Amino acid sequence: MAERAVQLLRGTLDVLILKTLAQRGELHGYGIVAHLESATDGALMVEDGALYQSLHRMEERDWVESAWGHAENGKRAKFYRLTAEGRRRLRTETREWVRYAEMVFRVLDPEAAT
Amino acid sequence: MRRAGGFWRRTSQQVSAEVEAEICFHLEARVAALEREGRTRAEAHAEALRRFGDVGGTIASCVETDLRRERRMERRELVREVMQDALLGARQLAARPGFAALCVLTLGAAIGAAASIWAVADHVLVRPLPYDEPERVVTLWEVPQEGGRAEVSPANFVDWRERSRSFSAMGLAEPFSMDLTGEGAPAVMRSWRVTAGFFAALGVTPVLGRSFTDAEYTTGARVALVSHAAWQQRFGGDAAVLGRVITLDGAGFEIVGVLPPSLEYPAPEELWTPKVFRPEELTDRRSTYMHAVARLAPGVTVTDAQAEMDVLAARMAEEQVANRGRGIAVVPLDTEVLGSARPIMLVLLLATGLLLLIACANLMNLLISRGMDRGSELAVRSALGAGRWRLVRQLMTESLVLSVCGGVVGIALAYGGIRALIALAPADLPRLTAVAFDSRVLAFLITLTVISAALFGGLPALRLSRSDPMSALRGGRARGPLDERLRRAIASAAIAFCFVLLIAAGLLTRSLLSLIDNDLGFETSGRATVQLFLWDNNPSAEQRVLRVSELIERFEAIAGAERAAAVSSLPFHPHAINSMGGFLIEGAPPEPEETGRRVFTTVVTPDYFDVMGIRLLAGRTFTDADRDGTTPVVIINDRLAQTYFPNESPIGRRVSGGVMAGPVTREIVGVVAAVRPSSFDSEPAPELFVPHAQHGTGSMTFVVKGSRSPNALIADMRRTVWSTDPAQTIYHDATMSQLVGRTLAQRRFQLTLIAAFGVMALSLVVLGVYAVVSLWARERRRELGVRVALGAGAADIFRLVLAQALRIAAPGLLLGALAALALSRGFAHLLYEIRPADRLTFTLAALLLLVAAALAACLPARRAVRTDPAHSLRSD
Repeated sequence: MAERAVQLLRGTLDVLILKTLAQRGELHGYGIVAHLESATDGALMVEDGALYQSLHRMEERDWVESAWGHAENGKRAKFYRLTAEGRRRLRTETREWVRYAEMVFRVLDPEAAT
Repeated sequence: MRRAGGFWRRTSQQVSAEVEAEICFHLEARVAALEREGRTRAEAHAEALRRFGDVGGTIASCVETDLRRERRMERRELVREVMQDALLGARQLAARPGFAALCVLTLGAAIGAAASIWAVADHVLVRPLPYDEPERVVTLWEVPQEGGRAEVSPANFVDWRERSRSFSAMGLAEPFSMDLTGEGAPAVMRSWRVTAGFFAALGVTPVLGRSFTDAEYTTGARVALVSHAAWQQRFGGDAAVLGRVITLDGAGFEIVGVLPPSLEYPAPEELWTPKVFRPEELTDRRSTYMHAVARLAPGVTVTDAQAEMDVLAARMAEEQVANRGRGIAVVPLDTEVLGSARPIMLVLLLATGLLLLIACANLMNLLISRGMDRGSELAVRSALGAGRWRLVRQLMTESLVLSVCGGVVGIALAYGGIRALIALAPADLPRLTAVAFDSRVLAFLITLTVISAALFGGLPALRLSRSDPMSALRGGRARGPLDERLRRAIASAAIAFCFVLLIAAGLLTRSLLSLIDNDLGFETSGRATVQLFLWDNNPSAEQRVLRVSELIERFEAIAGAERAAAVSSLPFHPHAINSMGGFLIEGAPPEPEETGRRVFTTVVTPDYFDVMGIRLLAGRTFTDADRDGTTPVVIINDRLAQTYFPNESPIGRRVSGGVMAGPVTREIVGVVAAVRPSSFDSEPAPELFVPHAQHGTGSMTFVVKGSRSPNALIADMRRTVWSTDPAQTIYHDATMSQLVGRTLAQRRFQLTLIAAFGVMALSLVVLGVYAVVSLWARERRRELGVRVALGAGAADIFRLVLAQALRIAAPGLLLGALAALALSRGFAHLLYEIRPADRLTFTLAALLLLVAAALAACLPARRAVRTDPAHSLRSD
């Protein structure tokens, strides 16, 4: 499975996390990972450590904010949610990502694109 | 959901613990999920760690990110708090607009005054002169036997240039005026003729075109450099001015370059031409009229150069009779140009500094007194958990708001003040043209604003924040025993400062008064003067005599003119041409020409003494009968009579000499009172007067006495001159009052400024005393009420409060007197016939301050008297 897993392009993790938080509201780190894994049937390989570094970086940039709460199992966990700034960011990132993907696709499969 | 992080800053341990806890939770959740999928605990553990990657690295990286965020939030919080304090401060001020306006205006006036003076002082005291390596530029002077110093004679300069080693360049500038024609109305172009080396010594190169070539200096070519101002005003600032030929004294001069605006030495004239020595100049060691500048060779100091010139002067004194007893002075250009203005600017700067200190001291008093009303508010804040540092910061922010408002007022005042200063300042204040409201003034203003806030806000903030919350809440008022003594000390210091300023203003006023009191020996009001050079259009002496008498007739025909006369050298005239020459008395043993007595010789028309109101002491004045061909006559002044004819009547004695009078023996027919030659404190010198009809010189100043305003007379005189000779240039015109007033301009300027500061300081003193005394009375309302209840009369209460003003004034006056005595010796040289410790000035200034202090205390005293004792006993 590991060999076939898709490696994430740089910067893509941020937008995936933002999207997840936008869909699911408040989540702790493991919740985000679990969502990404189930959404891609485990095909998307994210290193968990990278996810936390990304979360903290985005918190520094005020894209997400965090608070301590209680998880389903009753244990204390740190929950993240989108800020208004994060929501804006998600919109622009998504737009750029789609544009990027279209360009790449146009080159790779010119007939399908036209 | 509470925001993680929250209001207070987390420590780095807390941050690491949180990151670790977060990651721990993740790993546990992952293990639990894997176990649910059927893995063993050990397998799940290994898999969870594998999927996580570098645990240690991730924790470190997250902690670092979080700490960075903490620091940023802390900064943001600080800014938010300061903004909040500022807003609070602004609201506090708005709540008491009267108090706020008072503080802001007080501070603004002081800051504005200080910045205005600074704008000028910056150019005079701080900035280097705008020349290349200005510290190497020196001026050279001859030192006559009788002391003082004189300009340089051409022959001596040539010797200095050849025989000195200290300088890398040396040059001379000779003042010279030329008539510019063909460019509109005929105009006088004041100019400098300069030798090679002059521009090199100053380190000046043209901003446009070129300098003179060596060949042009040698041949005296008809080429000219124009000043930047002349280029702008006369030639429209057009680069096409290069190569243009202008007509000067009837000859064509080609303009080859434009000099930089910074060139102001020896004076900012319009035109510069090459100087070639005439043959007779190369042997002339007595006519000192050239300005010498030199550039010190690399590594040579002023002291070295002076030592070399001393040796050279001693050698030349032995070689030439004319140089006997004469020395040479090497004066740095810096000292020469700015030296005289420096002590004045320093005094003014000190005065503004004192003013600002008074203002700050008063604000400090007002803030402390107002702060007491706020004791409960601060106590509440402190009880609610605000730390002392937090309270200090809040109070300081409020002070800063106050001083920023003051600073804004100050900027406006400085902007106007600098213009006023430039308009008011005497023309001889150097570098005034460069003075402007620039970024350096603005920087100074901002610095002053911040420093003031620290000065007047610091102490109150520290003091008020220390108040014990419990006692403040209970008593409703914070008050320490030291506060009152401190407040009084501050008000006393303000009185001391003000006393010094008032004494300075008083001394300057008395100096000016005693100076003006000096008898000039002539009348000034209602006299108009016009200076003409008649040489070019009237080549012979006969023509000039005719022309002068024709002009006088025409001037007398002007409506409102009564009498007119002409003189070769008018007292107090800035462009007076003084002729000094040898003087021999017939029958007295002749003295050698080189060392003989020399006197001023002045050529006048018959009515001169009458028009000027100069008193005739003996004999007669000139008449129309004293003409060419009749007995040569001369009138002397009483100074000459006392010096050379101490015990006899000079009338009828025969004398000869004087440069202008030529070697003609003349009979003394009259003695007139001596006049002061150039300023109110200049001493009259022995002087000979020769009738113009017997000596037709062409450089004459016409004086018209009339019943109309002299300015209107001048306009008519100019028209009259041009109606008879359209090509005649008018060299100078002014009313006699202007000529005389000009010499007082600097003193008036100093006095106006110091007096303005004095008045500002006085109003500050009134404010200060009022603040302290009213606070004192308010704090003692209960005590005063008790006294009234015990039978004290209104007069007793009034006296008690008034006495507080005296308690403030007495030590202030004592301190001020000592300071004034110490300081005033420093500007004794600005005084005239007044001792720095002048008793009348000290007494009057002290009285004025005492009255001001008493008046300031009257209001709180009346309030105290009116207070109902029963009411004051209940309240508080």
